[in-house]
Amino acid sequence: MAETGVEIAEIAVSAAELKLGTEPVECAGVRLSRAEGKVRYSLRARDPAVLEGVLGRQVPKKIGDTDAGIACLGPDEWYVVLPDNFDLPRGEGLPVSVVDVSSRALGLVLEGPGALTVLSSGCPLDLAKLGVGRATRTVFETVEVVIWRQAEDRWHVEVWRSFATWLWNAFIAAMHAAK
Amino acid sequence: MLLIHCPYCEEARPEVEFVYGGEAHIARPLDPSTYSDEQWEEFLYIRSNPRGRHHERWRHSHGCGRFFNAVRDTVTDVFETTYKAGEAKVKELGK
Repeated sequence: MAETGVEIAEIAVSAAELKLGTEPVECAGVRLSRAEGKVRYSLRARDPAVLEGVLGRQVPKKIGDTDAGIACLGPDEWYVVLPDNFDLPRGEGLPVSVVDVSSRALGLVLEGPGALTVLSSGCPLDLAKLGVGRATRTVFETVEVVIWRQAEDRWHVEVWRSFATWLWNAFIAAMHAAK
Repeated sequence: MLLIHCPYCEEARPEVEFVYGGEAHIARPLDPSTYSDEQWEEFLYIRSNPRGRHHERWRHSHGCGRFFNAVRDTVTDVFETTYKAGEAKVKELGK
């Protein structure tokens, strides 16, 4: 590029070089790790009472509320993250949908006082106003995620598997930028 | 970025979570087979396209997933109000 006097830098990272880590990463007061829960369900029902009858337990009714692993994402939609080997009744013949989506998503966990800053670097929602124990679907940059605030400084992020590698590295980049 | 009030989530959420869904309150004909080509064309393609107050559908696709209706000014981009799908059309400001 000597002729024009303009130097074009090589692309810093190509997509093929990105790896989804398995070990926790710590930087700038933030710890990024893979979440433990491996069983996920998507629940749909027009009438929550029917769904509660199938599950044999209460489900949160207000959008954004969570209760023991069940998050209410919409007026007729719930998302469930449970420990290994958990099985929910399917409610055959009833107007509900209980679908095992365990293979669809991965969970990432951001912990520490800087976690909110890292999440806010790519999320347009005002997450400081998301109370502890609340969860919501939103976007990080252009990737759809479910953000679950499990404690003041602990955020569980559910992301579809094919986006997880990118999100993992985007979080690490944001952690380095926040340093 | 605009903040749009979702009537289901009951809070103002960032615009990028939403998808625009075209003009609202366009009723699907109960018996399309009785429609002439002109009437069918009218139903499918002809929209009011106003300058000013516009009733339109939006979907909170990266949130609760619900369609709802909004009244937005097409000149200023100001959202006058939003309301749940199935509720009556908001004819005038504040009514």
